Amino acid sequence: MSLPRLPLTVLGGYLGAGKTTLLNRLLSEDHGQRIMVMVNDFGAINIDASLIAAASSDTLTLSNGCVCCTMGADLFMAMGDALDRRPRPDHLVIEASGVADPAKIADAARTEPEMSYGGIAVVVDALNWPALADDPLIGAQLQDQVRVADMLLVSKTDGTIADGLAQRLTALTPAPQIDLSMAPEVAPLLLSGILPRPASPKTAPHPAYVGWSHDSDQRFSRASLFEKLTQAPANLYRIKGRVLGLDAPGWEIHRVGTQVDIKRCETPRTQLVALGPAAGLTRQDIENWWAA
Amino acid sequence: MRQNADQITVFKARTILTMDPNRPEATHVAVKNGHILAVGGADCADQWGTVTHDERFADQVLMPGLIEGHAHMMAGIIWNFFYAGFHDRMDPQGKWWKGKPDLATVVADLKDIEKTLPEGAPLVGWGLDPIFFTGERLSKKHLDAISTTRPVVIMYANFHLMGVNSKALEMVGYDRHTNAEGVVKGADGTPTGELQEMAAMFPLMRRCGIDFRQMTKTEDAIRTYAEVCRRTGVTTATDLYAQLEDEDVARLLKVTSEKSFPIRLVPALGVAGTNPAESAELALRYKAKSTERLRLGSVKLMTDGSIQGWTARVKWPGYVGGQPNGIWNMSPEEIHAMVDAMQAAGVQMNIHTNGDEASAVTLEAIARAARRHPWRDARHILQHAQMMGVDQFERCRDLGVCVNIFSNHIWYYGDQHAALTIGDDRAQRMDALRSALDSGVHATIHSDAPVTPLNPLFTAWCAVNRQTMSGRTLGDAQRVSVMEALHAITLGAAYTMHMDSEIGSIETGKRADFAVLGDNPLAVDPTALKDIPVLGTILGGEVHLA
Repeated sequence: MSLPRLPLTVLGGYLGAGKTTLLNRLLSEDHGQRIMVMVNDFGAINIDASLIAAASSDTLTLSNGCVCCTMGADLFMAMGDALDRRPRPDHLVIEASGVADPAKIADAARTEPEMSYGGIAVVVDALNWPALADDPLIGAQLQDQVRVADMLLVSKTDGTIADGLAQRLTALTPAPQIDLSMAPEVAPLLLSGILPRPASPKTAPHPAYVGWSHDSDQRFSRASLFEKLTQAPANLYRIKGRVLGLDAPGWEIHRVGTQVDIKRCETPRTQLVALGPAAGLTRQDIENWWAA
Repeated sequence: MRQNADQITVFKARTILTMDPNRPEATHVAVKNGHILAVGGADCADQWGTVTHDERFADQVLMPGLIEGHAHMMAGIIWNFFYAGFHDRMDPQGKWWKGKPDLATVVADLKDIEKTLPEGAPLVGWGLDPIFFTGERLSKKHLDAISTTRPVVIMYANFHLMGVNSKALEMVGYDRHTNAEGVVKGADGTPTGELQEMAAMFPLMRRCGIDFRQMTKTEDAIRTYAEVCRRTGVTTATDLYAQLEDEDVARLLKVTSEKSFPIRLVPALGVAGTNPAESAELALRYKAKSTERLRLGSVKLMTDGSIQGWTARVKWPGYVGGQPNGIWNMSPEEIHAMVDAMQAAGVQMNIHTNGDEASAVTLEAIARAARRHPWRDARHILQHAQMMGVDQFERCRDLGVCVNIFSNHIWYYGDQHAALTIGDDRAQRMDALRSALDSGVHATIHSDAPVTPLNPLFTAWCAVNRQTMSGRTLGDAQRVSVMEALHAITLGAAYTMHMDSEIGSIETGKRADFAVLGDNPLAVDPTALKDIPVLGTILGGEVHLA
């Protein structure tokens, strides 16, 4: 396989939670990545006209290399289109419909050999979610979305996530809860290509996040690597890279939240990058974990 | 045989069932310009000028062309894959494929087919339904007996699962380390070859060229679907979740306008997850392109899932196995918004509702939209309508809403519904055509092909006999007469499509669309309704023999 794997991040959350607002932010940020965003309906996508290089009825091409398109009725076929696109995008972000189970989409990143798992981010609307979660018709489905999330992005807060909401969410999942109003940039949250690539030094993570990188010739068996990754600090919710193998040439790894994805690969070195929010995580925590 | 435009042809038949109460039966029907000029005896059209008599159907029975109100174009092109189902089934070319009563037969039959394929090409089967097998589940072990050198992929009848061989697993790198819910593993920790849901199936479909989206975007798909229809006496059929863009409409216009094309096609534009106002506008734009044989303009909404998949939204007391209530594919909020936009724009809706909670929410949305944008003859259709009771049918009548009932479910899944899904007493009153008609609801019945085979006479048989696969009569009180069932697959269906002024009965002025049958459905034993031979159809006066 000559092309790099396409990381897939799925964005879930109910209607009006703020998924589109988040995607508008993502597409406009200066992250240096060629992101492909798939939405059901891009009527609400609102990008500064100066950033749009081309527009058709189902695709918006931005001057920063990002693309936003509608997925049509067949989400998985659209995923195939994204994989077949040349040049292949750096990252695929799929906006799940308001009632969709994002895990059913994200699972494709574990099964498709040419994709890697970029995680499930679920947007939780601080104002309306508590009532919606109790709704006799759709409450169970909304709670299920939160249960499968690797990361909860809480929208419409007044600067803090209320204790009551935080407790309800914690009861459903250990996934980190991030107040979107306090996140300076959303790209580091949604993309696993989080650290500066050599060619684009300007994409250094914002000080609100702690980054870490590692380069060595350490070797791991699949089992030992899995164990290592599951023991990473809870707040270190993104780890990615390639690791020299004992029982295979190498392993490509992605950890998002508590989810670990390991696929076979070729690699000359063991090279990892990781990132988490600066609140509750230090570089030393990461070093200690790796050295343990 | 082509007719001159002004020529009058008088077809003679053993019996003509007209579905017209003014003249329920006749022996002759006169056709001119693709329309019915007169109905009666041999001299019925003599006062209109010189006639030509056509007596080739003198021993057959003519009925109004049958109408399938809920099927999918995929029902034709799916035969590009090899049939692996339990029941005998006819392909678009009229060939009967033997059903496969057990896994050993599936393997033996596919082994024979495997020998005919080019080297390396995948072997793809469809239609397997393990719900009918006892004993072992299908696994890679069985499929490896077919081939170890080419991928073997068998899609299940519900299209939510597939069984694959070791070569196929290797192709996508599924092994003991694969950590995805849909990749089922056995006691030894390796994948069994059973793959569940799209995320697990998609990587293999992508590599084996199983591309449903592309398959239905071909002229071949349209033609093979029409063939399936023609062989079952159908002259008008829906495609009930059509993905339409301008190029698709252009293709449909081209193929349906070919002289030899044997049906009137009624695609409903799929709108789940789309912007309501934009979709309404698109539906109206396409409606303006409608022709005699292509009827555009209606839309299809989703609400819940399926009862046999435990994903339908059902009211209390829910599922007998304690499964959680089903899922919404469009949320009630989206259903309300979509229904309101379509009602406001004057777009007819087909709304998928399996469970009784889904139909309740949908009726509420329609009632609300009807107060805001009155449109008494909208004829919106609740599709499947499987758990609706008298209360909901009364509401349908009051709102002018039609139902299209999934009668084929009684035979295919009735036993499972009684034992495993909603329990015995609700299973006896599901697919309640009797109640719908008694409430005065305009109703039709359907197959949802390719989910079950397209064949309206079989669907009518289900509604009349309510027999399950185990031989039980499921809900005697909901049985209907043969006449009522025939009405449902002709004039009843035509009404739901706003086409009852043109088709659905054999009466002067309507289009000359007939089914040519080997026997009289009103004369045979009602249990033999499904066995009546279909010899072909006549569409707009043109004969299309099967």
